[in-house]
Amino acid sequence: MALQRKSVIVSYAASPSFLSSPTWDQLKQTLLSQLPLRNIHWKTPSRTSIRTIQELDISLVPLDTIRDELASQVPATLLEKPLLNLYFVTCENTDLELYRTTIKRQIKEWHATVSNRKNQEWIILHVIRPDAKIPSGAFFQLKGSVLDKLKADFNTDKRDRCVQLIWSTNPSMWGEFITKLKDGILSAFDSAVTQREDEVRRSESQRQMPGWNFCTFFILKESLASSFEGVNLCDEALLQYDELEASFYQALKEKNLSWFGVLISPAPKDDSNPLLSLSKKPYRDMILANTITVFDFRIYLLTRQCQLLAQSGRITEVCKKTGAFLGAFGRRLREVEKDLPRFFLQSWIYSSALSVVEQCDSWASNLSEAQLAVFNAGKGELVELARSQLDLIGMHIGFLPQSPPFSSVWVPILSSSEPSTTKISNTQILTALDSEDAFYSLYTHTTTRAIDLYANAGRRKFALKLHGSLAALELHRGHFDAALTTYNSLPAHYAPHMWTSLECSMLQRALETHSALGKPRNREWIHILLSFLAVYAQSSGADMLVKEEIKAAYISRLVDALKSSASELDSGKPGCSLLLSFFQTLVDLPHPDHPAISVQVSPTATLARIKDGSYLEATIHNRLPCALPIEEISVILSGKDADRQRFSVTANSLNPGASKVTLFCPTSNAGTYLLESSEIRMSRLLFNWIYRKPSTNKVPRLTKSSNMLVRIPRDLLAFDVQLRQPPRVEFGQSPTIIVAVSTGRNEVSKAVIRLSAPSVIFDCQDVSLFENDSTEAEFTLEHIILHNLSRSKTVELLVPHSDVSGFNALTISIEVDYVTADESSITRTLKVPRVISTSLPISVNVEDFFRGKQLFSKFTVSTLSHQHVRIASVLLEPPDLDTSGLKVVTSSPRKRNIMSHRYNQHIFCFRSDQTDQARFALAVWYNLSDFIPVRDPLTLDVKYRMLREEVESVIDRAIDEVLADLPEWHMHKTALHAKFIEMLESDASWVEIYTISGELNVPGKIEISEELRDPVEKVKEILRAHQHPESPHGPWHEIRIPVDVPSMTIVAAARIELRTKSPHLYAGQPISAVLSIHTTFHWGPNLNDKERQYTMQYDVEEMVKEWLVSGKKRGNFSAMDDTIFSVPITLVALHHGEFALPRVVVTALPLTDEMTMGSMAIPSTETCQVHGAEKVLILPRGGRSTFVLDMGST
Amino acid sequence: MPPGLRINAVAFISAQNHPIIVRTFSAQDETAIKYHYIAHTSLDVIEERVNAAGGKSTDCYLGLLYAMEDVAVYGYITPLKVKIVLALALSDSVVRDVEINMIFKALHMAYYSSISNPFLTHSDTSDSSQDGSRTLTVGSTKWKNFRRRIDEITRVVGSPSTTSVG
Repeated sequence: MALQRKSVIVSYAASPSFLSSPTWDQLKQTLLSQLPLRNIHWKTPSRTSIRTIQELDISLVPLDTIRDELASQVPATLLEKPLLNLYFVTCENTDLELYRTTIKRQIKEWHATVSNRKNQEWIILHVIRPDAKIPSGAFFQLKGSVLDKLKADFNTDKRDRCVQLIWSTNPSMWGEFITKLKDGILSAFDSAVTQREDEVRRSESQRQMPGWNFCTFFILKESLASSFEGVNLCDEALLQYDELEASFYQALKEKNLSWFGVLISPAPKDDSNPLLSLSKKPYRDMILANTITVFDFRIYLLTRQCQLLAQSGRITEVCKKTGAFLGAFGRRLREVEKDLPRFFLQSWIYSSALSVVEQCDSWASNLSEAQLAVFNAGKGELVELARSQLDLIGMHIGFLPQSPPFSSVWVPILSSSEPSTTKISNTQILTALDSEDAFYSLYTHTTTRAIDLYANAGRRKFALKLHGSLAALELHRGHFDAALTTYNSLPAHYAPHMWTSLECSMLQRALETHSALGKPRNREWIHILLSFLAVYAQSSGADMLVKEEIKAAYISRLVDALKSSASELDSGKPGCSLLLSFFQTLVDLPHPDHPAISVQVSPTATLARIKDGSYLEATIHNRLPCALPIEEISVILSGKDADRQRFSVTANSLNPGASKVTLFCPTSNAGTYLLESSEIRMSRLLFNWIYRKPSTNKVPRLTKSSNMLVRIPRDLLAFDVQLRQPPRVEFGQSPTIIVAVSTGRNEVSKAVIRLSAPSVIFDCQDVSLFENDSTEAEFTLEHIILHNLSRSKTVELLVPHSDVSGFNALTISIEVDYVTADESSITRTLKVPRVISTSLPISVNVEDFFRGKQLFSKFTVSTLSHQHVRIASVLLEPPDLDTSGLKVVTSSPRKRNIMSHRYNQHIFCFRSDQTDQARFALAVWYNLSDFIPVRDPLTLDVKYRMLREEVESVIDRAIDEVLADLPEWHMHKTALHAKFIEMLESDASWVEIYTISGELNVPGKIEISEELRDPVEKVKEILRAHQHPESPHGPWHEIRIPVDVPSMTIVAAARIELRTKSPHLYAGQPISAVLSIHTTFHWGPNLNDKERQYTMQYDVEEMVKEWLVSGKKRGNFSAMDDTIFSVPITLVALHHGEFALPRVVVTALPLTDEMTMGSMAIPSTETCQVHGAEKVLILPRGGRSTFVLDMGST
Repeated sequence: MPPGLRINAVAFISAQNHPIIVRTFSAQDETAIKYHYIAHTSLDVIEERVNAAGGKSTDCYLGLLYAMEDVAVYGYITPLKVKIVLALALSDSVVRDVEINMIFKALHMAYYSSISNPFLTHSDTSDSSQDGSRTLTVGSTKWKNFRRRIDEITRVVGSPSTTSVG
């Protein structure tokens, strides 16, 4: 059946003379130019809403060409007959005469034929010319116009069917006519549809009656559909077909298909013809003849539906509908498959699906982006459907294996036993059947096409699935490399959303492919296997799609293979160079964070007790169903300052489920550690887990439980290295520290010590053994090596290092590799950071007083810390008595007591002398002639100790005392000591009593273990009885500070001497006095220069309340070495009392002959007031007396 | 031609597109993977449908997603974006959406009543460290009850007598 003309028929008629005139042609042309009609709104009571016909074409035909034939009984479309009849009237509007005589009769005739026709409308169009002049008389004419006449004569009902057209070039003149035209067509159409619908309804109601025929009904109803289609109401038309389809299904359900022929009688080209083509068979005739097969009928129905869908722009639904149809009807056809030629069904679905895709492509236009995606998806589905037919065919002819993924579409194809004469006709499939290569290329081509379509549609997951099947094909064909590549890339797509079943299957196939490829089990293989196991463990094997009992065996076989390949891994082919294999041993295969195994450690480590080291309990979960062969389990803990502790244990296998292991670390560093990582080694394969998350973790939720702390208790008997300050600190010499190596319980055969600290250099070569020990030691540039240390031995090493005065404290990381005699195979590494304070607890200040040839220096020693410091002695030592000519007399050689925040002052008297023994500090004069200036510094030596050290030594002695009697407690010595320190730390109440009396009352609030209780009590007793000894025991620290002898250019001694005979002095009495200034250059650079002179100035200070000073109280003088300048002055006491004499200030004037730095140099001067301690008693004056004062001369 | 619907597989997929459970009812073990594929690929179509609705649609039922080979795949998305995928054996008869929707509603209720067990989520501690949101492992033994419910729904749907109810 040909596509119907999309137009309604409108007949026209007019007087024959008009029709033959050129005016008619003109008129017809302009009328046609107004067409098609647009926006026709069809409102009908049988529909709920207004249907809008967007566009409707009209074919104008002369009335006489239409024959009212009733030849066919077949209900045809309603549009076969004209819906409207037109009559054109051309005469002047005023020409009533003409109208009455001829025109009216003609119209009457036409009207009679037309108005009787069913479901047809008519319109009389009166065409007039605009230029026709209206006669003047017309104004008064009462007879009206021709139009009025027409209306009066023919408008029988309310409807106005007469229109006047004033013919001009203006297109708007058609307006009224077009409206009338639409109305007319609609009304005719409406009544026709109503009538037809009534017929359909009547026919449907007779369904159960005998004699009713579905095919007849179908044709009747279809005529309605084609009518709707004819007026471009595609949706309405589709509705009719949908109802027909439903009614077909109804018939199907009632199993009443007697109106049809057989289900299918395959025609030669049925399997390869395009599905959506109506021209391939005379479908309608077959329906009318009741001979159509269900197969053809369904195809016809589908095709019509699809055509209508395509017309209404719902192209995407076409794909979906055909896809579902092919699937569903394909199933139905399978019932009769054995009667069909071999592969007919597959060929039919294949060709149909592909032909629909082509058909859709030809229909599709102007699709939006979203639509295009859906369209592509629909086409993809169709192509995939075609592809799955190839799967079926391939499996049956043996080109494809009957296993997943191909077998997911598996159905047995039944074909007739006797070789059928008919064959399928699809050439593509026929060629594919013949040759394997053609089949594979067709398969690949179709699949790729589907993948492309899916990719365009954005259906990634569909595409992935098809990629998987392509890989399966490659695998089957033996193209292992290609298959492996695909299989390796696919799991990653399934992993993120945990489609473990699919991921698992992909990985499994990758493994199979790998082994099929005969490749060595290399790293790649191990990686695939590991990720397979990871997926397995994560899903606990639930979705492996493998039977439970096979599973464990399968996994354990894989694990065994893993083990063997891991040990063979890169072990090198024969002939590998030594260098290469060396590098390969370094390259382990680490595999981070494998989920099949997890390691949990206990929060506390336990000490080994009998040897150095500690044990750590760990629980290992193995989520695989079989035991895992491993070699070593290790856990790394990290402490502060890059301190790492590695706990490990060797193990043979790891059983499924949780197993507890005890890990050992040979060194024991006490402290709290963070669980950093754990490792499980399977020969070259290294599973590792990092627990410490980077600090900049974006997900705070994860950090909350991720950091796990492990506490390692302190092992008091372990090998240890401590740092302390040397007992003797000498300023000006290279500083040193003492490294104390204690062996504890170990007999150490060798220990290698390395020290390092940022910006400090240790001079390991110049290390010396402190307290001349007999230990075998080697000192190299970088480390210190000790040999054969016995148990419980402490070796102290004095290590010089570079200047650290910039720091208060120094952090030194110490690394000791030591080997014990008991376990000579284990090299234990102790790596500890130790902090040593480089600042001293005391400070020393000095103050100098020059007195002629003597110098008094006051040294002030003060504590810098909060702790008490006990000073044993302070000594000032001249560098060399023979050459210096300097004699030091200490004011107090005795020790001073403990002090805290207090100053302790020591005054020394220097005597610069070489011959005489000084006996007095202040009253000795010296021979100056051959004094040599002292340049070498003296040394101040301070012996002190901190209170803590003192108390510790007291405790140690007490412990020693106790242990001397009870040797069985010897092993507790260190523990006892630590316990006492702990007890003293807990409370400070003992300090005051100890400071005063020396009794040490140890507070006892600390819990003591059973074995330590007795010794502690004994030691406590001794401590309680302790007294400060007369001469303190124990070690002392010593600071040696170099002290330079100070220099002073001029040392002056000023003296005011009263010259009065009278023993009594009265207020107001003038007293004559002599001011004498003695100068000496003994402490200056001009020691023996007798000629040297300095200009000096003296000034007697005013004491305005006590003294009136007269005379030359201020003046200059020239000072020479060891000379005295004298000047007389007179003093008058202003009131009675006892008071000191005025002070004299002596200063040196700037040197005239020496310039220093562009300014005048002032020589350094120190003046002492010889009379500073003298006081004068002034008596009050009684009576009156007269004095005659000598005004004197200045 | 049995008029009853035959359910081949039911899949529940979480809002994060993780599979919650894929339950297959076909005899062959090998073809189970096919339904995993179907569940997985359905996500694409569900996404398409949801996007096409522009997030405004309040209807959970998504209708026929696609028909492939011998199954028709229907989709359903709960208000909390849990997707339920139903694979029906394709048959040449009219399948009414109302019926399918009813099956979905029943499945949804089964899921809802299983998930509302407060002990279900906390029992699986070993995996909680990896991803706090992932509390429902595929095929976890805790889901026995849920599986039983699904099986029962399938059985009821499959028996012809009840289909007329829909």
